[in-house]
Amino acid sequence: MDFSVVVEYFPRLLEGAWVSIQLVMISIVLGGVFALPIALARISPVAWIRAIPFAYIFFFRGTPLLVQIFLVYYGASQFEVVRESVLWPILREPFWCAIIAFTLNTSAYTAEIFRGAIQAIPPGEVEACKVIGMTKTQMYRRVLLPRAFGIVLPAYGNEIILMLKGSALASTITILDLTGMARTIIARTYTPMEIFLAAGAIYLVISIVIIAIFRQIEQRQNRYLGTLSIKVPDKG
Amino acid sequence: MSKVPALELIDIHKTFGDIEVLKGISLKAYDGDVISILGSSGSGKSTFLRCINMLENPTRGEIVFNGNKLDLVQGESDLVANNMKQLTQMRQQIGFVFQSFNLWPHMTILQNVMEGPLHVLKRPKHEVAEYAEHLLRKVGIAEKKNMYPNQLSGGQQQRVAIARTLAMDPQVILFDEPTSALDPELVGEVLGVMRNLAEEGRTMLIVTHEMNFAREVSSDVVFLHQGVVEEKGTPSQVFSAPKSERCKAFLSSVF
Repeated sequence: MDFSVVVEYFPRLLEGAWVSIQLVMISIVLGGVFALPIALARISPVAWIRAIPFAYIFFFRGTPLLVQIFLVYYGASQFEVVRESVLWPILREPFWCAIIAFTLNTSAYTAEIFRGAIQAIPPGEVEACKVIGMTKTQMYRRVLLPRAFGIVLPAYGNEIILMLKGSALASTITILDLTGMARTIIARTYTPMEIFLAAGAIYLVISIVIIAIFRQIEQRQNRYLGTLSIKVPDKG
Repeated sequence: MSKVPALELIDIHKTFGDIEVLKGISLKAYDGDVISILGSSGSGKSTFLRCINMLENPTRGEIVFNGNKLDLVQGESDLVANNMKQLTQMRQQIGFVFQSFNLWPHMTILQNVMEGPLHVLKRPKHEVAEYAEHLLRKVGIAEKKNMYPNQLSGGQQQRVAIARTLAMDPQVILFDEPTSALDPELVGEVLGVMRNLAEEGRTMLIVTHEMNFAREVSSDVVFLHQGVVEEKGTPSQVFSAPKSERCKAFLSSVF
């Protein structure tokens, strides 16, 4: 094996890694924003309000991410309305198609994580809010969401890492993310072993950084909390 | 008596599925009353207490607070509040102390006590902080104000919970078996705090298994059995000369 290609192409791999990081960061932030209302609707006492996020989550958890990416990238352009809409300059870009697919996907998983966290809060703490006459909004703002945030952290860190690995699928729609870049380099150099090892190592480093960041936040947040945690289904 | 009761419960019924837990309980509490609610487990005493501020929705009955009838409408299986604003306002004036304390673990002791007056009653922060510290001193736990609930013993947590309730300046305080979750050696410190409150003339409804405490502190004692009021009277009447056979049997089993 000749690792000089790794040295030579390392800057290109880092470029790809930066694209991967952007994909993950943007979709995680947007996904998190969407996830909160989805989670709140999911625990609504009203049946039909519950049904909408249920169907949404059912679809995005039950189908492969790759299919979802293809649906957005190849599917959306089938429609005249889409091609003529003001959004077309965005929907035509593979990068934004990947962002849309990732955001929809991760918001479904994150909503489930949020829901689990809110429901994992002991009912007594909620009753303690009721008996001092808090309104629903006060209850969420002062107790439920801050509490859920602490509970959610381990599972949420896990979701970000799954998203990072899932982002490799972006390479299938011509995006030069870390995986896409690695494949492009290999097409030129015929050194799959060396380049993929290097790409894998870079993914690993990013994962370690994410884990470390979350461990820090978790320790700060849960300093004095009990060992309350929830189990979240793994992504297939 | 012509004055209006602070709290009046009229014919409270509660059904869980097919089981009728409360079969029509009425109770009046005037300002300064300390009413102990006794009964064996399953007699419905905690359910009754929880119905007063709608933690449990009664199936039938009326709740009157200071002469104002709580607006209830028929829901799917029981009565629900028709006017959330009225309910939250009533709850702000009725304190509730839980068996399991239910402090908010992500807040310090001081924050737990300040939460209600600061964010629900929207009182100015410096005033609330001062008052909260005063209350923590009163329950003997001021030195722990910056700790978190999980760092405290059960008895200490319950005293914080009482301070949190007092911080709302409630007109009536409901205690739901406040010492039942505590180790025996910690029961005394909580009862001590409650005794002081009773002596201050606070209006209290206490569901408890602490018979000696009930006997010494209460102005009235109510004995529930299978969802009905079986015996009612002053502590000396109920404890020394109970009329009902059930009550006699219960008292002889606990003493």
